[in-house]
Amino acid sequence: MDEIKNGLSEVVCDILVIGGGTAGPMAAYKAKRHSPGARVVLLEKANVKRSGAIAMGMDGLNNAVIPGYATPEQYTKEITIANDGICDQAPVYKYASRCFEIIQELDGFGIKFQKNENGDFDVKKVHHLGSYVLPMPNGDTVKKALYRQLRREKVLISNRYMATRLLTGRDGRIAGAIAVNTRSAEFLVLRAKTVILCAGAAGRLGLPQSGYLWGTYENATNSGDGYAMAYHAGAALANLECYQINPLIKDYNGPACAYVAGPFGAYTTNSEGNRFIECDYWSGQMMQEFYNELQSGKGPVFLKLNHLHSDTIGKIEAVLHQVERPSRGRFHENRGTNYRERMIEMHISEIGFCSGHSASGVYVDEFARTTVPGLYAAGDMASVPHNYMLGAFTNGAVAGEHAAEVAANIDLADYDAADVIREQQRVLAVTRREDGIPPNQLEYKTRRFVNDYLQPPKVTAKMKLGQARFAEIREDMESAMVVRDAHELMRSLEAASILDCAEMAAFASLFRTESRWGLYHHRVEYPEKNDDDWFCHSILRKRDGRMTAEKRPVAPYIVPIDESERSAYDRQRIRQHA
Amino acid sequence: MPIAHTPTAVPVVVDEAKCIADKGCTVCVDVCPLDVLRISDLTGKAYMKYDECWYCMPCETDCPTGAVTVNIPYLLR
Amino acid sequence: MTVFEPFEAFGDLEEIAERLASEDPSVRRLAVLDLVETSSGEAVPLLAGAILDVEPVVRQQAAQALGEFDGIDVAKALIGAVADPVAEVARAAADSLAELRDPEASGVLLPLVTHPAAFVRAAVFRALKALQVDASLGPAITGLGDDDPGVRVQAVGVIGYLKKTETLPSLISATRDKSADVRLAAVNALSFARNEVAAQAAAAALSDPEWQVRAAAAEAIGRIGQASAAVALIASLADGYWQVRQKALQNLGRLRVRDGVEAIVAFLDDELPSLRKDAAAALGDIADQRSRDALTRHTGDADPDVRKTVIWALGQIGGG
Repeated sequence: MDEIKNGLSEVVCDILVIGGGTAGPMAAYKAKRHSPGARVVLLEKANVKRSGAIAMGMDGLNNAVIPGYATPEQYTKEITIANDGICDQAPVYKYASRCFEIIQELDGFGIKFQKNENGDFDVKKVHHLGSYVLPMPNGDTVKKALYRQLRREKVLISNRYMATRLLTGRDGRIAGAIAVNTRSAEFLVLRAKTVILCAGAAGRLGLPQSGYLWGTYENATNSGDGYAMAYHAGAALANLECYQINPLIKDYNGPACAYVAGPFGAYTTNSEGNRFIECDYWSGQMMQEFYNELQSGKGPVFLKLNHLHSDTIGKIEAVLHQVERPSRGRFHENRGTNYRERMIEMHISEIGFCSGHSASGVYVDEFARTTVPGLYAAGDMASVPHNYMLGAFTNGAVAGEHAAEVAANIDLADYDAADVIREQQRVLAVTRREDGIPPNQLEYKTRRFVNDYLQPPKVTAKMKLGQARFAEIREDMESAMVVRDAHELMRSLEAASILDCAEMAAFASLFRTESRWGLYHHRVEYPEKNDDDWFCHSILRKRDGRMTAEKRPVAPYIVPIDESERSAYDRQRIRQHA
Repeated sequence: MPIAHTPTAVPVVVDEAKCIADKGCTVCVDVCPLDVLRISDLTGKAYMKYDECWYCMPCETDCPTGAVTVNIPYLLR
Repeated sequence: MTVFEPFEAFGDLEEIAERLASEDPSVRRLAVLDLVETSSGEAVPLLAGAILDVEPVVRQQAAQALGEFDGIDVAKALIGAVADPVAEVARAAADSLAELRDPEASGVLLPLVTHPAAFVRAAVFRALKALQVDASLGPAITGLGDDDPGVRVQAVGVIGYLKKTETLPSLISATRDKSADVRLAAVNALSFARNEVAAQAAAAALSDPEWQVRAAAAEAIGRIGQASAAVALIASLADGYWQVRQKALQNLGRLRVRDGVEAIVAFLDDELPSLRKDAAAALGDIADQRSRDALTRHTGDADPDVRKTVIWALGQIGGG
C-alpha cells in the first residue's frame, strides 16, 4: 500500500458528488431518489463510513426550525441580523422552510433526536429569541445511518479518491472532475452532467496554538480542497474575509458545545466567574467580545458548570464525552479537570473558512447552484450562512434534487483531454523529485504565516507581507516539494489547497475596506462599518488566471428587518468599541 | 536536503494481542478519516504510521476486539 | 491507460458464507462484519445462523450486526439470542431488539414482556415504545407493576408515547412509584394531557423528595397549561433547591401567572444570575404593569444576560 503506481481510468456518470461527509451523502441520496435510473457517484478521499466533520457524530442541532418553536421568518431574520445584514435571504429561508422535513426524514433513518416521554421532539429554549436546539443524545449513529441509506439506494461509492480539479467544457459548463487515489496515486477521470461539491470547510488554514498541524477545530481532513477547486474552475466565492473563528476548549481545540450545556444552565464567564457576552447572536460580534475579554485583565474565559447539580453535570458529560468529540473526556481526565469542581478554560480557534458557523463560502443561490453552470455546492463550503450540520443535510438535499433534475435533461459536456494531462503533470511533479521539501513543512510555514499576518485584528501592512511570504512558499511548492508515497501525495495536494485558501483570505480581507462581522473582519485602519460603500457581498474569483474581487449587491430581503431590530444589534456593537 | 526522521510519540496505540488484522481485519484502517493507520508487514497488526491524528476515535470505537486506544496527542495534553 | 473499477464492492454473499464456515473464530467474526456491509436483506438468514455460533464473540458480533437490519426475521433471530448463556451476547441481542422499527415486529416482541430477564423486558418495552402500537398498552400498564425499576421506566414510556387520556390514572399512580426514575418518567409522560387531573397530579409531584422530579413537575405544569396549578407553582418558588426554583420561574412565565408577580419580583435580587435572568424573563412573559418599576431598577444589573432580559421584559410590558 502507498507506493506510487501509474494508472488512469475514466468513468461516466450522471451526477457526481464530491465529498462524503454530511451534505454529500444527502445530496447523493436525494439525487438517486429523484432519478433512480441515474448513475450517482459519491467520491470521498477517506471512507464515507467515517468521514467529514461528523465522522464521530454530532451531539445536537442548534438551528432546528421546528413548527411551534420557531418560524422560517423569525430564523431568517435572526441570521440576517447576525450577519450584519449581508445575507441573501432566499437560501436561508429555503433551508428554514425545509429543515423540519429533513429532521423527520433523518429520524426515519434511525438517527436519534431527543424526544420527551410523549415521543415529541424535545426542543430546548435557550433565550427569548427562539428555540432552535434539539439534542441528539445518540448522535454517534449519524454516519452509520446515512451509510445504510446510501447502500440501499445503490449509490456508487468511490472511497480514497481525492478530487484535485474540476473539468469544464468548452461551453463553460461543468464536465466532471479529475481525482487521484490516495493510496496508489492512480488517476480517475469522472465525466458527469452535474457536479455537487461538498468538500467541507477550510479548517486547516490557521495553525492551532498547540502547533500540532492536526489539532484543528474542524476535522483536519477538511483542508479547503472544495474552495480551491471551485476557485480554479472560475466559480465565485463570497465573503471569504468573514472568517470562521469559534470558542473552544483551550488546547483540546474542540468545541465546548455551550449549546449542549447551555439548556442545562451552563454559561461562559470571565475568570471572575461573571458573564460578559452582550451579543444575543452567535456571530463575529460575539467572538469580538470573547477576544476582548481574553485580552483584558479579566481573562482567561471559562465555561462554567460547577454551579449545577452533580447529576445535571453527569447528564451533560454523558453527551459531551460520548458524541461528536468523545476524546474531550479523556483530555479533561489527563488534566484532572472535573466539571463539578473547576471551570473549563476556553479560548478561540484558529481562523478558517466555513459557512457552517460563519458565512465564507462558494457563492450559491437557493437551489445550491454556483456561478458555473451545472456545478453545485452545499455544506460548510457553500455560502449559506450559519447553516451547521442540519444546513448541510438540507442544502445537500436541495442540491441533489436540483442537480438530478437538470442532469435528466442534458448531455455530458466535452472536456479537453489536454487538461487531464496537464493536471497529471501538476499533481505528479512532487513524485518526480529525488530530494526537496516535504508537504508538512510547507503546510506548517503557510499556516504559521496565516496566524502571523491574517488573523484579526487585520492590518493592511501585515496582510501584504503575508501575501509576499505566500508567494515565496508557492515558488518552493512548485519547484521543490517532494513526496515519497501516495499518502504524502494527498498531503501535498492538501498543502496546495491550504495555500490557495490563504491567498484568498488575504485578498478578500484587503478588498473590503471597512470593518464588519465583529472579530471576523476587524480591520484596524477601517474600524467602522460602512454601509454606504460596503453593504454588499465581496465576490472573489479567478479571471484569466488571476485572482480578482468585485462587489455584488445583497438580494432584496424577502423577510423585512425593522430598523429598530438592526439598531439593537448595532448598539451592542458600539458598547464594545467604547 | 536529506529528509530527517524526527521521533514523535503517536497518539493511537494498538494492543497486538487483541488485534486481528492478521486474520484480515482492516476496520481501524478503513474508518480513520485521516488515513494514518496501516497493517504492519512485519507483525501483521495495525499501527499508526503517520502522526496526523485528530483524536476523533472511530478507530477505537469501531474496532471489533477493543484493541485500539486513542490518546490525546502530547502537544495538546 | 490501465482500466480499473473505482467503486466499492460490498462483498459477495456466497464468498462470505464460506468464511462463516471457517474454523478460525476471528475469520467468522470478520465475515459477520462483512455481512453488515452488504446492507442486503439476504444477509439476515446468514446472521441468524451466526448468532448460533459455538464461539461467544461471533454470536455477540452477530447479535450486534442484526441491529443494522429490520423485520420479523431479525426479531425472531434476536429473540432466541436474548436467552444466550453468555451475558454479553444476550445484552447485545436485547440492544438490537430495541432498534426494531418494523411495526410487524411487535407481534413477536409482545410475548417477551414477561421474559424472566429484566434487561430483556426493558429492551422489549423500549422497542415497543418506538413502534407505537395500541396492542402494547395493556402489557405496558401491567409492566408498571414490574419488580425492576428499569422495566417500569420503559413501560411508562410506552404509555406516554401513545398519549391516551384513559391511561392517565396509570401514569398518575406511577408518579408515586418508589423509584425516582419511574416517578420522573411518569411526571414527564403525563404532560401530554391538557386537563385538571393531570395538572393536579403534576402539582402533587412538586412535593416529591427528589429535586429532579420536582423540576420536571414544574415543567409539566407549564406544558399542561392549567391555571389551577399556579398556586402550587408559586409555592415551589420557595423550594430548597435552586434548579427547581428556576423551573418554577420559567413556567410561571409560560402560564402567565399574574398572581406570581410579587414573588417573582423578589428574585430580581437573587444572588444567582441565572435566577435573576429567569425572573426577568417570566416578568416579561406575564407583562404585568406592576413589575415595571422593579424591572426598571434592575436595568443596570452586573450580569449582561440579566440586563438584556430586563430590557426585553420592559419592552414586553410597554407603555409607561
